[in-house]
Amino acid sequence: MQEQLLYFVQQLLNGLTIGSTYALIAIGYTMVYGIIGMINFAHGEVYMIGTYVAFIVIAGLTYLGLESLPLVFLAALLVSMMVAATYGFTIERVAYRPLRGGPRLLALISAIGMSIFLQNFVRLAQGSRDIAMPSLVTGGWTFGSPDTFEASLSYMQVIIFIVTLVTMGALTLFITKSKWGRACRSCSQDLGMTNLLGINTNNIIALTFVVGAALAAVAGLLLGMYYGVVNPYIGFIAGLKAFTAAVLGGIGSIPGAMLGGILLGTTEAMTSAYFSSEYKDVVAFGLLILVLLFRPSGLLGKPEVEKI
Amino acid sequence: MNFKKTLLGLGISTMMLGATMAQAEIKVALAGPVTGPVAQYGDMQFIGAKMAIEQINKNGGVNGEKLVGVVYDDACDPKQATAVANKIVNDGIQMVVGHLCSSSTEPASDIYEDEGILMITAASTSPSITEKGYQLVFRTIGLDSLQGPFAANHIINSIKPQRVAVIHDKQQYGEGLATSVKGELDKAGVNIVMFEGVTSGDKDFSALIGKLKKENVDFVYYGGYHPELGLILRQSKEKGFDAQFMGPEGVGNPDITAIAGEASEGLLVTLPNSFDQDPKNAALVDAFKAKNEDPSGAFVFPAYSAVQIMADSIEAVGEVDTYKMAEHMRANNFATPTGELAFDAKGDLKEFSFVVYNWHKDGSKTAVK
Repeated sequence: MQEQLLYFVQQLLNGLTIGSTYALIAIGYTMVYGIIGMINFAHGEVYMIGTYVAFIVIAGLTYLGLESLPLVFLAALLVSMMVAATYGFTIERVAYRPLRGGPRLLALISAIGMSIFLQNFVRLAQGSRDIAMPSLVTGGWTFGSPDTFEASLSYMQVIIFIVTLVTMGALTLFITKSKWGRACRSCSQDLGMTNLLGINTNNIIALTFVVGAALAAVAGLLLGMYYGVVNPYIGFIAGLKAFTAAVLGGIGSIPGAMLGGILLGTTEAMTSAYFSSEYKDVVAFGLLILVLLFRPSGLLGKPEVEKI
Repeated sequence: MNFKKTLLGLGISTMMLGATMAQAEIKVALAGPVTGPVAQYGDMQFIGAKMAIEQINKNGGVNGEKLVGVVYDDACDPKQATAVANKIVNDGIQMVVGHLCSSSTEPASDIYEDEGILMITAASTSPSITEKGYQLVFRTIGLDSLQGPFAANHIINSIKPQRVAVIHDKQQYGEGLATSVKGELDKAGVNIVMFEGVTSGDKDFSALIGKLKKENVDFVYYGGYHPELGLILRQSKEKGFDAQFMGPEGVGNPDITAIAGEASEGLLVTLPNSFDQDPKNAALVDAFKAKNEDPSGAFVFPAYSAVQIMADSIEAVGEVDTYKMAEHMRANNFATPTGELAFDAKGDLKEFSFVVYNWHKDGSKTAVK
């Protein structure tokens, strides 16, 4: 009995780890959708670029002889967030702003093109092979006896939880308390009206892209350190999963993206645990279809009122 | 205006140059992944084939004509492989060394057979490729249907595990091998507690590892490629799951060490014989090393042999007539760096041997006696 419980806890922890990083990436999708109603398909690639930058910074600092792990981690976090934010800003400027006001389909095609461009750009610059990095954070806690079943929680998983929680907390504070956050919320309610009230909505939209990209870079650093591997193709699957998480939770809603990410991660882990890992995507996307059937705007999404 | 004239003249002279060269060269398409996650296996095949072309040309070419290798990138993607095959047809090339991944080779081989193009794969091991009764499809590597039982035999007789898990990546190559191993183990009465597929390209295997731990698995056979197995090994070590792992040649390259680090120590890999260790090939190994290339990859020498067999057949037949060449290939033996090779009616090698290797954390390997 205790063995079963430990097994369940272990799989729950596995699911929460992967789910919290889905959530971090999903926020980028949901914020952009909430404000300008388009899906930024290049977001997964920004996550991938964040991972590459983090790897380069970590490798560079270690090469220069910097041993202190917290310093390396902080430096990698800051640099990858900054670089990713620059990418987010530039993508918006180059690929989306010139098309604003046009049919939505144009922006969507532009987003897909941007995604293909970034993927191939990184492939040419960095090569298409897996780049691996040794684990920086090793070890962890174990529960239970080795004879029956031993659940483990690695320090890296704990770091992922903590960083994700802190980041989400900071984002929530930013959105609810700050002046810019208020402008963001106002934009998502009525872009035209916000503009009339004297807020430069172009800046707010750019800000949304910058914040979303920086969060994707946080996820990139965390998952890069956790798995230790990066290649130019990781952005596609990660982006797809995060997009699913955003839709599941209700696209446009930030708490929804968090909930959706966690839900998707745990569903995948539990399916692998009690059924078969072959079916984890089937069950995860089946869940999405079910949710959309009964709540078309997602779990926490507001039903969209048709504007005439 | 003057500039335009010069440009025109330049263009015409280049065209004429191309025309004169075309008479004295025989093109061979080298098809495989130049990009994508398994590009390193493509490299193995390309450096082997290119070395063969270079040495044949140095020794006077084929019937006085030079061989030219043209590289095509299929990225190990079946859709791109058929596009590449059609391009090869359009480019008028008569012979192909490739493709690499079985799932790419199979659809491409249909096109080659229809268009009268001779294909020799140096790396695709799925049995179904040569089961269609094609005349022009050959391979210079062993089959999964040989490798699977060979691996199973080693598991049954040398390892004698108690609780076995067989995992695969749901692709033609990996699942085919895993199914073959499972079949043999079932026959021998080995206790298989898990048979599952993972998604190729996935990064998180913690749920799978948790399950393996719960089932008290002491031996895992993995059918697939190194990116996934590398991560499974790495995450197993982090989660304190220490079973014996075994995989096919698709996992046996130094990148698995880069991904898995210390966790790759002790991994068992079934590979074709290490032809670079054969004293007869010492001169060839030196030639690779002089070019700063690694001759130890599993597909380097089979690709070399593939090109050599093509060249020998053209010389014997006297022209590039693929049907006559295929006839010649089936009827004769060829002395190659991978041994004395002979093809059966299906186009497979009559004999091909595998060896079990013990992988080490520095990326080297030693044969298991």
